[in-house]
Amino acid sequence: MTAKARKSPPKEDVSSQLGGADLLSRPVEEITRIAKRLNKDKAALAAAGPAIKVTVLSSFLTDYLAEMLPLMFARRGLAATITTGEYGALVPALLDKKRPLFTETPDFLIVLPSHRDLAHLPAPGCDAKAAQEAVQKEVATWTDLWAHLPCPTVQLSFDPPLLRPQGDQEGLAPGGLVRHVRRVNMELADKAPPQVTLVDCEHLVQRLGQEKWHDPRLYHMCKQPFSFAALPELADSLAAAVSACAGHGRKVLVLDLDNTLWGGVVGDVGLEGLELGPETPEGEAFTAFQQYVAALNRRGVILAVCSKNSEKMARLPFQEHSGMVLDESHIACFIANFEDKASNLVTIAKELNLGLDAMVLADDSPVERAWVREQLPQVLVLELPEEPAEFPRAIDAAKAFPSGRLTSEDLERAASYQARAETQAAMGRASDMDAFLAGLEPEVTIEPVGPGSLDRIVQLIAKTNQFKLNPTVFSADEISKRPEHVIALRLRDRLQDYGIVSVAVLDPGDEALAIENWVMSCRVFSRRLEYVMRHLISERARELGAERLCLVYRGSDRNGLLAGLLPELGFASGGESGEEATWHGPAEAPEDMSEHHMTIIRS
Amino acid sequence: MTSVSADQVLATLTGVFREVFDEEDLVLTRETTADDIEEWDSLNQIKLIIGCEKAFDIRLKPRDINGLQNVGEMVDHLIRYFDG
Repeated sequence: MTAKARKSPPKEDVSSQLGGADLLSRPVEEITRIAKRLNKDKAALAAAGPAIKVTVLSSFLTDYLAEMLPLMFARRGLAATITTGEYGALVPALLDKKRPLFTETPDFLIVLPSHRDLAHLPAPGCDAKAAQEAVQKEVATWTDLWAHLPCPTVQLSFDPPLLRPQGDQEGLAPGGLVRHVRRVNMELADKAPPQVTLVDCEHLVQRLGQEKWHDPRLYHMCKQPFSFAALPELADSLAAAVSACAGHGRKVLVLDLDNTLWGGVVGDVGLEGLELGPETPEGEAFTAFQQYVAALNRRGVILAVCSKNSEKMARLPFQEHSGMVLDESHIACFIANFEDKASNLVTIAKELNLGLDAMVLADDSPVERAWVREQLPQVLVLELPEEPAEFPRAIDAAKAFPSGRLTSEDLERAASYQARAETQAAMGRASDMDAFLAGLEPEVTIEPVGPGSLDRIVQLIAKTNQFKLNPTVFSADEISKRPEHVIALRLRDRLQDYGIVSVAVLDPGDEALAIENWVMSCRVFSRRLEYVMRHLISERARELGAERLCLVYRGSDRNGLLAGLLPELGFASGGESGEEATWHGPAEAPEDMSEHHMTIIRS
Repeated sequence: MTSVSADQVLATLTGVFREVFDEEDLVLTRETTADDIEEWDSLNQIKLIIGCEKAFDIRLKPRDINGLQNVGEMVDHLIRYFDG
């Protein structure tokens, strides 16, 4: 491994402080101790990643949870500062206008109610209509509260109660409390606005088992309504949801082949010798694993292959084995050679234009896993069990690809990356870039701000890391209040529809038209879409009578490419490079900007 | 049940305290009180109770424990679970 294989200089390595890949399977006392130690080591905590301020509001005691949360955030690459509200003050905290809850608005709220907070219980023996009314009232309380939220929020759904005085009717009859909880949870999920993401408490309770989840004595001692054993999974699930909303969810699953996707070494046993397909239990387990991987791909996880094989041998099963679920079209980046895996992972990241911190590796070899962990601590290396039948569960349990609500862009993302690999291959071949870009027949649609685009606009601004001027994000509310100052662009070409991939938020001032933020998805880099946006901003400036443009660029370790690009777009910096600085430029786009070859459609 | 000496109880209790307070060289004596350990608050008290229950494989009554004045009284209380 040479130094050049590392994309960026390594951060201070905090991985030794984070408890290792199997942390969540260890006893809660041990996890607590690791969390406690990390909380005392401010430098290690800060080195975990970008800082994020989180406030926990609850109707119960959250001190033990707050103690464990920073560890779970750090494991997901975020340096979290946690503050907790008074317990019992959940609803007043959100509604009390006179005594503002925050001196400084946090980046995220975590809201934790329990079934003890339910205010509209159905009467035992009531009919379905009355029960449904109770659900509606319960949910209306929350939709009202949600309207007051100052920032994106992750909320735990209601926990099903342990006791069943009505027996089975608790879960089945309209007047049952368990049934009420289930219905309220489903209805909350349906009604949640874009800034609210729910975490499924019913799943957490089932996973641990109800008997273990509840600890009535502990509740009576300190008002924590779940056991200590429930803390690690709960804290990790909350951190996963926040990290997904903050755009820190991982995006790529990199797969080894021999003994990971199929049984046996294809180079040794040939196509016929592989364990794959329904003929043997082992073969069936590998097929089941591929089905799980295909399901991840359908919900937007990008797949890549990284295998020590000749490329021809590695591709053969994809092309010819009847037991394969995955085919070559699922794989956005296929690397098979005899170089070391860490270097190959760097290549994959580069090819997909994503950071190493977006990647997850599934590899059966403990040696390769150890090597990659050591060389590239940013990559999440899964601890795969020896038994292939357990592979899917291991990936599932790691919550490696947390997601808030899926947008249509999520669902199309994987396909988009697969097409991108083809486009890039074509770009590599095309000697005349202009002819090539024009040949893609690209069309840009200016999308109106509305229910169909709002989620995506907010999400794109939050999740973009590379082409992004500064860390300013906007809530759905802020965007919908000023649709005339938001430019959202959808890109389509003859290969595919990329969805909304670039947004600029403008703020007309006296002196100049300010570009508050401008983002573009890395999937459409090198397509010259930024030139289209530049022209559209000029157009808006002319309409407003502004002669100048200004923007604030704050350099980070991710958005460095913009510093090089802004001069090309006609902006000049007023300050030192690398720091936060205001850049200015004339309203008109530079004349020497390259042709973008795009047809602009105004809706 | 085999009888357990006060020293054995104190040794196991020390292990519980070290885990809860994450102090590997913490030393307990019969005279140690909550005032001697900075982080010994009501929240850590609950962790101590639950830690003792696991370490000694017993079930405690929080009320009994909360009334105790120092580690010595705690040892005397715990040892009763193992008498005859």
